[in-house]
Amino acid sequence: MAQALLNPDKWISEYADALYSYTLPRVNDTALAEDIVQETFLSAWKARDSFKGEASEKSWLFTICKNKIIDHYRKKARDIVQPISDNAATDVFFDDAEHWTQQDKPLDWGLEQEQAIDKKEFYKVLEGCKKKLQEVQRAVFSMKYLEDLDSAQICKALGLTSSNYWVLIHRAKLQLRACLEKNWINSK
Amino acid sequence: MNLLNISCKKATYLVSKKEESRLSWLERIQLRGHMTICSFCRKFEQQTGFIGRMIGHDHVHATLTPETKQKMQEALLNEPS
Repeated sequence: MAQALLNPDKWISEYADALYSYTLPRVNDTALAEDIVQETFLSAWKARDSFKGEASEKSWLFTICKNKIIDHYRKKARDIVQPISDNAATDVFFDDAEHWTQQDKPLDWGLEQEQAIDKKEFYKVLEGCKKKLQEVQRAVFSMKYLEDLDSAQICKALGLTSSNYWVLIHRAKLQLRACLEKNWINSK
Repeated sequence: MNLLNISCKKATYLVSKKEESRLSWLERIQLRGHMTICSFCRKFEQQTGFIGRMIGHDHVHATLTPETKQKMQEALLNEPS
């Protein structure tokens, strides 16, 4: 019965690009994203009898895909999560009194006119800036902003304490902001 | 150092922490006090909020090559039915 609701013949043509577009910014690696999409289809095929038709075929496939992405980070956690050091690369943004240095103080981005912002250009620079983060920071960032996961779930998947998680997120934000200012704002 | 007088480094940390969990009452007072006098940290909060909103949007439209799709299709066909 349930299988009548699924159209495996059309999965690749209908959903492969959409799943790939969903996965790529979440893992930041084209080969890995392809693997995850492939595994999504294979797992879906194996689990097709359990499809009850409660969700659409599309959202069922996306759920499988999302779980694959979380699994990927869970497996990788041991390799990418390192002890959080007290000293961060972002410490140089602040002087001895811990105030912004002349060089690194945030400039005006003109965000009052947000609609005037060239989104395409922003995303291009953002992808480049994300690549400069540490792998664990990228993982935390991708999970936080792209997976609709709360911090407890992210900490569990990566085996982080909540205070380590804040520190990682915070340092990633400091770094991304500085990178965007340098390569997006200042290059306009 | 005055208890209510915090540095930019601490203030930016509290901005990030605020997004994830509740600040203590002391931290809230510290952050509010700092934000009224520091335009740089106000910009930091505005800009990191903007980055978060932008990242949260699905903005990637990537396509797989026909060869990759073909390979995926074959892998599916090779699965026992």
